[in-house]
Amino acid sequence: MNCEEVRVAYLAGDADRSAALHVEGCAACRSRIEDLGRAGALLDDPALWEEPAPELQGQVVGLISAGRREEAKPWLRRPLAAIGVAAVALTILGFGILAQLANPDWTAEMPGTPEAPMAMSTVSGWNTDTGTRMLIEVEGLEPAPEGFFYEVWLSEGPVHISAGTFTGPGEVELSSGVRRADFPRLWVTLEPIDEDESPSGVTVLDTGA
Amino acid sequence: MATKRLMAQFRRGDASAVRALYDRYGRAIFSIAFRALGDRSLAEEAVQLTFLQAWRAAGRFDVERDPAPWLYAIARRVAVDLHRRERRHDSNHLEPEVAVLPPSFEGLWEAWEVRAALDKLSDDERAVMRAIHFLGLTHGEAAERLGIPVGTVKSRSYRAHRRMAELLAHLQEATA
Repeated sequence: MNCEEVRVAYLAGDADRSAALHVEGCAACRSRIEDLGRAGALLDDPALWEEPAPELQGQVVGLISAGRREEAKPWLRRPLAAIGVAAVALTILGFGILAQLANPDWTAEMPGTPEAPMAMSTVSGWNTDTGTRMLIEVEGLEPAPEGFFYEVWLSEGPVHISAGTFTGPGEVELSSGVRRADFPRLWVTLEPIDEDESPSGVTVLDTGA
Repeated sequence: MATKRLMAQFRRGDASAVRALYDRYGRAIFSIAFRALGDRSLAEEAVQLTFLQAWRAAGRFDVERDPAPWLYAIARRVAVDLHRRERRHDSNHLEPEVAVLPPSFEGLWEAWEVRAALDKLSDDERAVMRAIHFLGLTHGEAAERLGIPVGTVKSRSYRAHRRMAELLAHLQEATA
């Protein structure tokens, strides 16, 4: 047995007499086996093996996107100096919407489909009395060609509700009269300008069903 | 993505940089928060708050530095704040506030380093290590569970332990 075979055998707990004899006469193996054992002991803490929920990454991205938008609104950063503005806004928008600007009720990532592999979108959503407000940040999507536009859909099975349209990458604010909890699929198609009001174009972004 | 560029883009709130930074450090942050707080949903809240606070403080971060100790410090502080918040909400809230943190907060930096080293292993190697150290399986049982030959488990286990020993040599020297 060579050194590596001996070390593998010790680690696997099946070292035999010949491995033991090798270790007895090999200081390098004795030292390395000790190192491997100590490294293994560091891994015995069960907390190390816990994994966060896969959707946590999207939530973090959504949170920072929402924070970035909040920072872009100077009157939100200086609430005391902007009390007058806020009071007017509260009258116009209602208390809920202002509160919602900081903390979305849900966030989602809408990755690009094979038709738009470089595209990616992050969506922050707020539940309102009348449905859903969404802020959608789109990256890596080509501007819609002339005669076309992008349309955002909320769907549950075969039922598709349009949430609005946009023409290229950037930040889009849209509203829909339904709640995402009832229409969980969020997706975007490239639609020709015509009289067809159903999703008939190529899908470019999609959270999946 | 190079760290300097990554941190500059993170500072701007670029979504791809946030995702990349999460890929590098999100699990380590979650691990230490879970270890300290002992609760999955609190640990996930700690990850969100850590990234949000890091982004807000990123303008003051020197992009030439390693972000790991900086993120660790934020994560630990967030975990302490959450622990105290939960303690206040606890039914024993009438007890006086004590500055001493529970033992679960000890050795967090070491836990961070071990988790970060673990994340540097390949997926295959990590799966073997998980089977052995988390599930407590023998090499033979791990082979059966993972559907691979026992010889492959042995070689991956050896490679992974060797890599962990190299990456964590400084911890081992301190505890030896």
